[in-house]
Amino acid sequence: MKTGESTSIDIAPETNNSGPIGKKKSTTPLLAAPVPVTDRGTHRMKRGLSIFDFVLRIGVLASALAAAATMGTSDQTLPFFTQFFQFEASYDDLPTFQFFVVAMAVVAGYVVLSIPFSIVCIIRPHAAGPRVLLLILDSVALTLNTAAAGAAAAVVSLAHSGNSSTNWLAVCNQFGDFCQQASGAVVGSFAAVLLFLLLILFSALSLKNSH
Amino acid sequence: MKAVASDSSELKSSKLKPGVNRGLSIFDFILRLAAIVGALGSAIAMGTTTQTLPFATQFIQFRAEYNDLPMFTFFVVACAIVSGYLVLSLPLSIFHILRSRARATRVVLVFLDAGMMALLTSGASAAAAIVYLAHKGNGKTNWLAICQQFNSFCERTSGSLIGSFVAIVLLMIMIFLSGAALSRRH
Repeated sequence: MKTGESTSIDIAPETNNSGPIGKKKSTTPLLAAPVPVTDRGTHRMKRGLSIFDFVLRIGVLASALAAAATMGTSDQTLPFFTQFFQFEASYDDLPTFQFFVVAMAVVAGYVVLSIPFSIVCIIRPHAAGPRVLLLILDSVALTLNTAAAGAAAAVVSLAHSGNSSTNWLAVCNQFGDFCQQASGAVVGSFAAVLLFLLLILFSALSLKNSH
Repeated sequence: MKAVASDSSELKSSKLKPGVNRGLSIFDFILRLAAIVGALGSAIAMGTTTQTLPFATQFIQFRAEYNDLPMFTFFVVACAIVSGYLVLSLPLSIFHILRSRARATRVVLVFLDAGMMALLTSGASAAAAIVYLAHKGNGKTNWLAICQQFNSFCERTSGSLIGSFVAIVLLMIMIFLSGAALSRRH
């Protein structure tokens, strides 16, 4: 009995750390041990998905930053007098646009901070922890992004067409450049929304194929 | 001896995991029902809001309805679409309760939930921006606050936004649950 017990104690640590024939099933570490040969196809696909995820993240960063910068630098001063008292327009005249700039800046900051996690997912394709974290944080960032984009789109469309029932006049007839820049910023943030949806899809697909 | 020990530990782990996944799926189903109530309630509350002022004011229009503002129309349509999607996804959620190891259908559910959440959030935030403008107005663009005249219209539209915000939060929690259920190893 004693020899049997001592044999089992000796063998157990060996099999956990052994090289090519070692099984990963007994422990589930975050960063996994070397991959068996049968998993190479999934390994490659997950690595491909992770690389594409990284590229998409750079795209989201670019469009979120561009949207925030375009809206933040959109001010226009008219050179002549009109029936309005105010003949300059800037993004901080409308609280909705202020919220838009702040929210897009927060989303861009989050994407910058999530790039290291994405790199970890490329290096270790079978890790599930970073992917679930990215899925959760991406959906929160998606909500913030869509809220900013929707609110700014509502105000931009109101500025373009006005509203006769509430006697709200269309401001864009006077402030053409300001309206164009604001519309461009809204389009950029909707592009970021679409890319976030793709990111969530890729995270879920990678999680599906883990064993 | 060691072989017996590893077998019993694997048996224990495989018994635990489907139980947790089933619990997550049941919770997802309950949240789906609550989100249907929230989204549908919002659509109905916004869609049935009208107010007619009994006197003549400086405005030519003295009747306010949801389709006077295209953003409110978009809000009602988005809420209706999302509540229809949630009703149609109830069978898929029940399937996940019965078959807790399903993975491909969970991926489909995560993606559709995220898309519908984006649609609902954009509708709710557009309506919220307009409600904010109606309450406060804007001095720089000469947009007057119409809530001074249309009190009950403003109150009902603001209240109907709450149901849609609740549905958004519930949809986000459902995405978390599906992600957690996907990441568990079998």
